[in-house]
Amino acid sequence: MEFLIQSVWVVPCYALIGGLLAVPWSPGILRRTGPRPAGYVNFIMTFLAFLHSLLSLPATWHQPPQQIFIPWLNTAGLDLTIAIEVSSVSVAALVVITGINVLAQVYGFGYMEMDWGWARFYSLLGLFEAGLCALVLCNSLFFSYVLLEILTLGTYLLVGLWFSQPLVVTGARDAFLTKRVGDLFLLMGVLALLPLAGTWNFTELATWAATANVDPTVMTLIGLALIAGPMGKCAQFPLHLWLDEAMEGPVPSTILRNSVVVASGAWVLIKLQPVLALSPVVMSALVGIGAVTAVGGSLIAIAQIDIKRCLSYSVSAYMGLVFIAVGTQQSEAALLLVLTHAVAAALLVMSTGAIVWNSVTQDVTQLGGLWSRRPVSGIAFIVGTLGLIGFPPLGSFWALLKLASALWETQPWLVGVIIVVNALTAFSLTREFGLVFGGRPKQMSERSPEIHWPMALPMIILLAFTLHLPLVLQSLSLLPTWELLNKDVALLLIWSSIFGCSIGGVIYFGNAIAKPVQLPWKGLQDLIAYDFYTPNLYRLSIVFSVDIISKVTDIVDRFVVDGIVNLVGLISIFGGEGLKYSTSGQTQFYAFTVLLGVGLFGVLMSWQFWGDQFLNLMYSYISLILNF
Amino acid sequence: MLSVLIWLPILGAALIALLPKNIPTERIRLAALLVAGFTLAWNIFLLLKFDITSSGMQFLENIPWNETLGLSYQLGTDGLSILMLVLNSLLTWIAIYSSAKQTERPRLFYSLILLVSGGVAGAFAAQNLLLFFLFYELELIPFYLLISIWGGEKRAYAAIKFLIYTAVSGALILATFLGIVWLTGASSFAYDTLTTQGLSSTLQVILLAGIILGFGIKIPLVPFHTWLPDAYVEASAPIAILLGGVLAKLGTYGVLRFGMGLFPEAWTIIAPTLAIWGAASAIYGALAAIAQKDIKRMVAFSSIGHMGYVLLAAAASTPLALVGAVSQMVSHGIILAILFHLVGVVETKVGTRELDKLNGLMSPVRGLPVISALLVLSGMASAGIPGMTGFIAEFIVFQGSFSVFPIQTILCVVATGLTAVYFVILLNRTCFGKLDNNLAYYPKVFWSEKIPAFILAGLIIFLGVQPTWLVRWSEPTTTAMVATIPVIENVGIRSEDQKVSEWLVASD
Repeated sequence: MEFLIQSVWVVPCYALIGGLLAVPWSPGILRRTGPRPAGYVNFIMTFLAFLHSLLSLPATWHQPPQQIFIPWLNTAGLDLTIAIEVSSVSVAALVVITGINVLAQVYGFGYMEMDWGWARFYSLLGLFEAGLCALVLCNSLFFSYVLLEILTLGTYLLVGLWFSQPLVVTGARDAFLTKRVGDLFLLMGVLALLPLAGTWNFTELATWAATANVDPTVMTLIGLALIAGPMGKCAQFPLHLWLDEAMEGPVPSTILRNSVVVASGAWVLIKLQPVLALSPVVMSALVGIGAVTAVGGSLIAIAQIDIKRCLSYSVSAYMGLVFIAVGTQQSEAALLLVLTHAVAAALLVMSTGAIVWNSVTQDVTQLGGLWSRRPVSGIAFIVGTLGLIGFPPLGSFWALLKLASALWETQPWLVGVIIVVNALTAFSLTREFGLVFGGRPKQMSERSPEIHWPMALPMIILLAFTLHLPLVLQSLSLLPTWELLNKDVALLLIWSSIFGCSIGGVIYFGNAIAKPVQLPWKGLQDLIAYDFYTPNLYRLSIVFSVDIISKVTDIVDRFVVDGIVNLVGLISIFGGEGLKYSTSGQTQFYAFTVLLGVGLFGVLMSWQFWGDQFLNLMYSYISLILNF
Repeated sequence: MLSVLIWLPILGAALIALLPKNIPTERIRLAALLVAGFTLAWNIFLLLKFDITSSGMQFLENIPWNETLGLSYQLGTDGLSILMLVLNSLLTWIAIYSSAKQTERPRLFYSLILLVSGGVAGAFAAQNLLLFFLFYELELIPFYLLISIWGGEKRAYAAIKFLIYTAVSGALILATFLGIVWLTGASSFAYDTLTTQGLSSTLQVILLAGIILGFGIKIPLVPFHTWLPDAYVEASAPIAILLGGVLAKLGTYGVLRFGMGLFPEAWTIIAPTLAIWGAASAIYGALAAIAQKDIKRMVAFSSIGHMGYVLLAAAASTPLALVGAVSQMVSHGIILAILFHLVGVVETKVGTRELDKLNGLMSPVRGLPVISALLVLSGMASAGIPGMTGFIAEFIVFQGSFSVFPIQTILCVVATGLTAVYFVILLNRTCFGKLDNNLAYYPKVFWSEKIPAFILAGLIIFLGVQPTWLVRWSEPTTTAMVATIPVIENVGIRSEDQKVSEWLVASD
């Protein structure tokens, strides 16, 4: 036991080794076995990591966090020591990450059955898992930034796995660039924070922040830069587009992305909370961004017709709630919400991913009647939905309740936001369920059998875990006690869930309203369906301006800067060419040139003796002419 | 000791030039490779013997030559130049290795490359201004020939442009060197006897401006950069590796050694301007790269952008920033070399460098999967993704410069964002996308074409994961250099910046 906890920092290495071991099965290296062993190797390594972190979890419980320091670089006063914190929270996070990874990898065996890209896919999954595990262990802002950047690269490559499809390529590009924008703001914050705080260690930063006396403007700027990174990771407005486009990537990676990868931003945010709390503006910004994303994201989710996109916007919305939690200093509620959301979201993605896998279409309006054909997926979807919305006794109910209770006294309007988001999410998930599983089979969903065991098994395990999550939380005494909770809020939450589900049920299970549902205002429906036109907004603003500026730079470079250079060259060539005609061969011409030259030279040499007189003469001439 | 680095390649060049005509090209290439390999081995030996705790010159050599001129054969190396020497030997070897097996006029080609290598080593090792200048000019003619004989379509234009620019740069540098010696009344051109403290600050600034303009052409700084895209693009891949990887470093080395080293007082006056210039260069290079349609040209412009960071670090001249500057010079040399090599392979196999024509090279069956994977790696390294050497160098530069020039540093961070933009464009168009199966009959990529890239990629990752090996060599030297410079004041920057830095200082 002691050994396991001492060595828990190697958990990221398992996945990294697994990722490296998968490389030899790339096309053209190991031909004999086919690409599948890459996946098996990776699965074994991830499973080992899962076991290791699971077994060491009890040993960390109720223990003070342990700090481990590994020297990395120390130069000219810059001390970059890898700081690792082994605490119950970080080890629990390891368990969640590796656990969901194990399931996603088994799911991948089924999902990627016909694919040749196993080696690339699994080595990237390994890299991803390693990055996430390292991130939760890491206790230094600098290394968190480093890991977030590596995860950004991982997202780019993983989304771009099927690189021959145009939508995949643009999705990968947008995911990379959006996250990178956030990361670079984070980098500016990281750079600016060191001279002030003198450290990047989260623990020391918290100590520093407790007594820090910093110029509020500077702190606001730094804080805003610091939250930009998590904004990109958590797909918050206005950096949210990538999550939607990243849906083009393979589903097993989407399981990870929608559950734990987006949470990486929230994790860093929670760690940074003491620093951010130095500036009230930053905290308000967090709440504002979170609230706008939460409501906006859940609205957009309702208007989507792509089965995966419906879910991706709910993820943004829930991460918005996490932002609200951090902005109101409710770290525990934030962590709890991250956990319950991760489990439920992973289950939802597994269920819909199965439908994507062997149905002709991903368009929810063309699916229907799958309940009798796909009972397992259907039950998984229901459990995932109930686990995500405030439905007692499942996980998210407690997290949302905890958050809302804490806000009831101080900022009641945020409770309203939570209730609205909960109702909207309940409605949107019921809508998706109704469209996909309810009704009669349509042309596109005639042939859509239940999936095979590699996909069904992890789904069932996760389903069971989602159902048992409250028990697990209770046994770890993580559930809030009733005394601390507000019963009114609990009722409100439950009613909002019931309200959302029943409205959704009435509309999408009944035939009273013709489908596809049309809102009375076409403009409003389009506005939501097209994601508030943010893609166009981006195209018209940032993409357009970078494009124009770079083109102008190029033109300036070609025609002005280089043009002057070439002009000088041309002038000298023409000068030379022109002068060449002066060699006429006539003696009198040469003599004239010589005389002219000598004369000018003489004038120049003797200038100091009579130059003034000459100038005076000229002056008197001119005045003479002017006087006439 | 250091003489071997200069004279072994030059001797090798002479021998290869004198080889009989009927020797096959491959043998000549092998001979050149051997010479370069021995030089590299010797250089690594020197690196291992290098005392990293000392800040002074090591491996000194001094042979009197022309006392009346003040010229003597003085060599030596310190933390600033030892890595440049290694980089030069390494990239020479890589360049020869990556040259085509069937090169036209092989004896001339390889002896010119070796000559360049010897000349550059001499310039980095010289401890005498005139000697430096001799070596600095020595590489000019071989490069001119290498571009104009083995170059692309517009090679004559590019080579002449390169020649003229470099000659102007050389003239400026020579004039400044002479000015320094005459005005200070020094008896020789040796570095250690020169000191400019006695001069009036106006004179110092004028001389320093000569140095910066002279070497700025070489770096190159916007707007003196237009020789670079043409020269890099028209030169064949091995020559582009040498031009971008090594030659550009002579510029930044010169600015650090002669600008900062000889004019510590004037440096403080001119530093704010330099920082702005560096940031402007970085952004300009990145923006121009985004608009390019030719991948080699894109990489060439990326080089302009990355050298801007070095200038920013030099201007900030904190110990950390200078360590960053040296690291960035090395990282940039390695990354640029691998990029040019890979672009060269793509060009030979696919037959085009046009972004609009390239597509789907990642395809494992008909494409160039290994080359594409390496291209992704090196592009990301250049864009400053952590885990690779480009990131840590840039990060040290930024952290070191931030306390002195916050706004300029932030502009450079923006430039790294733009770098990511054009590399994503490059990778998306080249590696990703659908390969046209009707056209994709590409020749096989040989192991000899992969090995240089593997070596460089290995170095990129190794130095990224273990950056101590990158920074340990230069730290004492740079710290000692900074000690001679008065604290830089933020003259010439707008008042807002001053406020920010005051806040930073006040709360420190």
